Amino acid sequence: MKLNNVKSLYDFLIVGSGIIGTNVARELSKYQVSILVVEKESDIVNGASIANSGIIHSGHDPLAETLKAKLCVEGNKLTHELSKELGFHLLKCGGIVLAFSEEEKLDLLKLYENAVTNKVPNVKLLGKKEVLRREPKVNNNVLLALDVSTTSVCSPWEMAIASMENAVLNGAKYLTNSEVTNIKYINEVYEVEINHKDIIKAKNVINAAGLNTEKIGLMLEESLDYHILPRKGEYFTLDPKNKGDFTCVLYPMPSKVGKGVLIVPQVHGETLIGPTGEDVKDNDNRVTASGLGLIVTEAIKISKHIQFYDNIRNFAGVRAKSSYDDFYIKESSKYLGFYHLAGIDSPGLTAAPAIAKYLVDMIKAKNILVKKDNYIKGRSYTPLFRYLSEEEKLEAIKADPKHGHIICKCENITEQDVINALNGVIPVDTVKAIKKRTRAGAGICQGGYCERHVLQLISEYKNKKMTEVDYYEENTPILLEDIKEPK
Amino acid sequence: MKVDILIIGGGASGISAAIKAHHQDLKILIVEREDFLGGILNQCIHNGFGVHLFKEELTGPEYARKLEKFLTEDVLIYKNTSVVKIEKENDVFTVSLSSEARGLEVINAKAVIMSSGAYERTRGQIRLPGKRLKGIMTAGSAQRYLNIDGYLVGKRVFILGSGDIGLIMARRMTLEGAKVLGVAELMPYSNGLNRNIAQCLEDFDIPLYLSHTVSQTYGDTSLEGLDISEVDSNYQVIKGSEKHFEVDTLLLSVGLIPEITIANNLGLKIDPFTRSASVNQNYLSSIDGLFFAGNALHIHDLVDYVSKESELAGERARMYVLNNFTKARNEKEILRNQLIRYTVPQVVDFDNLTHNFDISFRSKIKATLAVFRLKQDGVVIKEKRARHVIPAEMEKFTVGLEDLISTNELVIEMEILV
Repeated sequence: MKLNNVKSLYDFLIVGSGIIGTNVARELSKYQVSILVVEKESDIVNGASIANSGIIHSGHDPLAETLKAKLCVEGNKLTHELSKELGFHLLKCGGIVLAFSEEEKLDLLKLYENAVTNKVPNVKLLGKKEVLRREPKVNNNVLLALDVSTTSVCSPWEMAIASMENAVLNGAKYLTNSEVTNIKYINEVYEVEINHKDIIKAKNVINAAGLNTEKIGLMLEESLDYHILPRKGEYFTLDPKNKGDFTCVLYPMPSKVGKGVLIVPQVHGETLIGPTGEDVKDNDNRVTASGLGLIVTEAIKISKHIQFYDNIRNFAGVRAKSSYDDFYIKESSKYLGFYHLAGIDSPGLTAAPAIAKYLVDMIKAKNILVKKDNYIKGRSYTPLFRYLSEEEKLEAIKADPKHGHIICKCENITEQDVINALNGVIPVDTVKAIKKRTRAGAGICQGGYCERHVLQLISEYKNKKMTEVDYYEENTPILLEDIKEPK
Repeated sequence: MKVDILIIGGGASGISAAIKAHHQDLKILIVEREDFLGGILNQCIHNGFGVHLFKEELTGPEYARKLEKFLTEDVLIYKNTSVVKIEKENDVFTVSLSSEARGLEVINAKAVIMSSGAYERTRGQIRLPGKRLKGIMTAGSAQRYLNIDGYLVGKRVFILGSGDIGLIMARRMTLEGAKVLGVAELMPYSNGLNRNIAQCLEDFDIPLYLSHTVSQTYGDTSLEGLDISEVDSNYQVIKGSEKHFEVDTLLLSVGLIPEITIANNLGLKIDPFTRSASVNQNYLSSIDGLFFAGNALHIHDLVDYVSKESELAGERARMYVLNNFTKARNEKEILRNQLIRYTVPQVVDFDNLTHNFDISFRSKIKATLAVFRLKQDGVVIKEKRARHVIPAEMEKFTVGLEDLISTNELVIEMEILV
């Protein structure tokens, strides 16, 4: 949506389109309200939500009685329901927390109690034999384990995009490349300044800006009772050919700095190893030799059989940890209708749908929200060709022969898959946005083969010169110069 | 459709295999994903190809066109077609193909030759530090953009890895107006051919930094600069040795990996050192009827060697389909001492030993003068001395049937003299 199409006054303006912003947009879109999501990046879902473990945690870990514990357990259940409703992938693999020493054994028993208190379903203790039977590649000095079977894994950006597509179908609007640069509260209306020039007005503002929640909050408030303390996590991504080496999420015992380095089977067959936990400034998502080295050191304590040699990608994400000990989900005490959703670090992905409900309940406690009669539950999307049954494939290829052209040989992505993504409910025109939606470029050759096909398709369908197609952010063309054109 | 031999990939390897697999009674199909045969040769517009095979220096496309002419018209060729699945049941391969022209189709084949080439190692395999920046890509991708599509990917370029593609691209980017600031190589010596060091770097005053690697990258969305650092004998970065370069592009020429994903589900025996199938002297993998050739089997130094090896694989696939081999195998591993990185073939099948055969191998380390010995039953049956041995250069023993004294394991040993 272009800025000149913007309404004069929105009921809700959501800052940020990560897993939280998109889920809040979806939850609010069930009601008769106008919604605008503003995102500073070139595409929705681009911060911590695209660089994490993807785990839908059971809720065994957050301290009992915290909002994190409550919303994680609720969110786990909701995510499983949403996966069916919105059609995003969920790997229902379960998880095991492992104890390798007598000291860890005692802590594990406490963790078991905590999980029971948090009302995590189906938790049980596993002896060494049972652990090694289920996960033969775990080191055999394991002593005891906690089985948290409701643990699943999702593709976080797929889930966030699905939520946003559902919200858009139900009337929510969004703006990308739109950074909030100031907020004023004038005559009970918020005036939100975008990119230092345009003003958008809204009755309510939901600050779901991840790492930038504090910055956004301080545009309005004199002080806040939280600080964002960015924490970086680095990862390895192992070749899907090693799928099956580890069948569930393997957690070491949690420590003071977080859940530790995990082994996480992914929805599409890769295995993630990570994250580290390092306090950083701002969005410092660099991978480092020291961080990657630390992952190896830590991970081999769980298993000596991790094929680090088959790494296909390293990445780092920065989570928005805060000085507040829990999720900070509150309405401003001074500015009515201004809501802070801060410090949504782990288990924020799991909790996201529950956070959205919690927030909307909070809003409903003071405002009247009327449900829509015509709310559309699912979303309108075409699944990737690779996920169709053999019969469906034949039908699809008959209708769209371009499904016959495989443009990404690692992930078996077709030309028509890319065309569908270019023209989806949320249209896109960059190489990385296509990767997020189709997985073209996410495989073992990392775009070595498909990138040029993707560039050509964007160029063709978006009427851009090849040298105008961006990798992702504005002004990031992959091809700098057409040498066929006279200089 | 039913064919006798299905060849996956129509590059130098697939064409060469098809030429020798040819037989009047056999139906052969080459499946090629591009619109043209020749594979990666088409983007290698520099010369130096064909010196061994055609006794002249050709460019990549010339080599491909010349090779193609040996293909007879009865060899079926499906272009713009991808293989999406291979299954095997009761001695027959079921190969699923996908194309825009014909949609999904299934081909039954008695034998399959994997001549699917290789893919380039990416930043993930070398743990490149920094953000997820635009402006970092493999040298081969940049080569394809430049030589086939006609686009320059960078104006100020640094290259990591002194493999031949990296060296060639240093010259090529320079000729197209880019400034190439240097090439860094982790090893204390280059992995490229000497003539490429001279003609691609020295002639253009492009510095080569041996025992160096990229230790940091800079930029928020696009690459803006990088540091290279010297490494110690354990390849660890030496702090304080950083040199900074302002560049918009980093090209990676850090090796190739055989592209055999499509065969992963068949339960193949894999050699962890070549990262491809373990084969016998007939280029037959642990799966009956599944042959491997070219860079899909192991990475070659020269396309001429790819052709020669693939011809043999094609010939043996033909013999297999014509029932010239026994189904039973008596395979013995080719053993090697710790100075040899790998051998191809990995095993010898003494039950189907009909021809003299080559054993290709690579040393693990550099040596000024070394001796290689091939032994059987403790007896040296072949020996050769070699000067300037480097891992990047493939060594070879040709084993005659008359050289063998039993059907026991062969052993290859390397001894460093200087």
